[in-house]
Amino acid sequence: MAETGPAVRAPRRGAWDFTLMALTVALLAALGVQSFVGTLYAWWAYRAQPGWEQLGYPAFVDTMNAIAGPLVIALVVVMGLCVPKRLFRRRALVAASALMLAAGVGAGVVARSVDTGLGVYLGLAALIQVAVVALTLANAGGLTYVTEGVLAKTGSGLLHLGFVLFCLVVVSLQGSRWMLPVFWSATLLLVGGSALSFWARPRPTDPSGG
Amino acid sequence: MPDLLTIAADVDAAAASLRGVGAILSAGLVLSALALVFAALYPPARARLRTALVAHTSLLAVGEALLLWFHWRLWNAAVVIDPLTGGVTGRIAVSPWVESEKLYVWALALAVMAIVARRHRDELAPGLALAVAVLTLGAIIWGRPFTDPLPDFLGQYRGYLQALGSGSTELAMAAWQGIEGARRFYYNTWYMWVHPPLLFVSYASFVASFVATVLTIRHRRSSFERTAYGWARLGYLPLTLGMLLGFPWAIMAWQGEAWWWSGKVNMSIMMWLLYTAYLHGRLYLRRRGMWKVAVGLAALSFLTLVLTYLATYIVPGAHSVA
Repeated sequence: MAETGPAVRAPRRGAWDFTLMALTVALLAALGVQSFVGTLYAWWAYRAQPGWEQLGYPAFVDTMNAIAGPLVIALVVVMGLCVPKRLFRRRALVAASALMLAAGVGAGVVARSVDTGLGVYLGLAALIQVAVVALTLANAGGLTYVTEGVLAKTGSGLLHLGFVLFCLVVVSLQGSRWMLPVFWSATLLLVGGSALSFWARPRPTDPSGG
Repeated sequence: MPDLLTIAADVDAAAASLRGVGAILSAGLVLSALALVFAALYPPARARLRTALVAHTSLLAVGEALLLWFHWRLWNAAVVIDPLTGGVTGRIAVSPWVESEKLYVWALALAVMAIVARRHRDELAPGLALAVAVLTLGAIIWGRPFTDPLPDFLGQYRGYLQALGSGSTELAMAAWQGIEGARRFYYNTWYMWVHPPLLFVSYASFVASFVATVLTIRHRRSSFERTAYGWARLGYLPLTLGMLLGFPWAIMAWQGEAWWWSGKVNMSIMMWLLYTAYLHGRLYLRRRGMWKVAVGLAALSFLTLVLTYLATYIVPGAHSVA
């Protein structure tokens, strides 16, 4: 079942895409493992330690948050780096990514708030992603996608925009009057973008003939 | 104030009617599920598998219609009365996928998918039939939607009626606050009518995806992997939508709490993360060895789905029915 297809892109660019994808999968998997272990522990603690819900649960939440925090921040950063890769060539890509990171870190340091830093970083990512979606819809060319076909690319662009907006809601907009409008927009983009991305993609050839 | 004895009698009559017909239907469903197992595992009987599947699905549909009729009767009978004013604050709309009915709805959704499946239909049929049979047997033996319907709701509602008729204002108010809270923030919310069915449709799709994943591992054919992917992407959309719809509700209902570490929520997020990792990683299927990663993630994601479902019963929390 060797799945060897033609290379669709220059090797260095492909390696960068793959690295980001591998990092995303690794971070998602790490959060998944943490969730699993945490749930197992909670299940055991409820049974083995009477009164754990009142006495031990707050400490459990603190520990889980402390472990998940860096993973979630890393996931947001990696996801943000996925955004400009569609738009910029290698050198400009590095510069754009560095600028985004610098703006986020700068805002975080000035406001002394990780949430603010992530909010600024995600806001910039959302702006770039809007440009990416607009250029994709205009079939402007020069954009880099793993998927092929305008509809599939648009779907991919929309779902990434939805994910960035959803992260923005979680990080910065909870309790704000903008929360629900941005949340519903993110939901629409995520689901609609996923559907387009899944069903508009050209079918790959079947090497096994199965 | 409406007559409490009449309300109690109407609720009891609805449950008794369901039990009466449901006992026979339950026996029929068990026999039908065993027939499915036989047809799936005994090759000479395989020719009858599709007929058995259609018959079983029809029986499940009859059962679902019976449950809907029971819920309709409950809607008409179960009113909530304010003990202070004696006025009716509202009816309770218990959705037909709570408590003892969860596995049943999952079995029905999967049975329908097993019938409408086109790609690799014959190869998938034994695995899907077995899964439908297991879910049905679990629903009838463990969930008991017909013979022990909605034990938590009926227990709470009967307790409320008793408290209301006890003559104690204190007892009546405490019981009213409990049932009115459940009515307004749980049973009658639009969310309860959208979130669970979306998840059960996604769960059923993921079962089909898992059956195709097993076939991929067994036969090492990429076409089975594509079938697994087809079902997984079908399940991923309602899963994502269903979980997202829960987000604003969770923020409002559990304000200030770390609800994301609640057992069921936590496991659901993990399941979504793993399915996302699987579908994301699958974009690079043409890379050498990536299909093994994709198949591994698909299998792991399904294992997580099973654990997520079980978490409802074994891990305490907002979704618990343990």
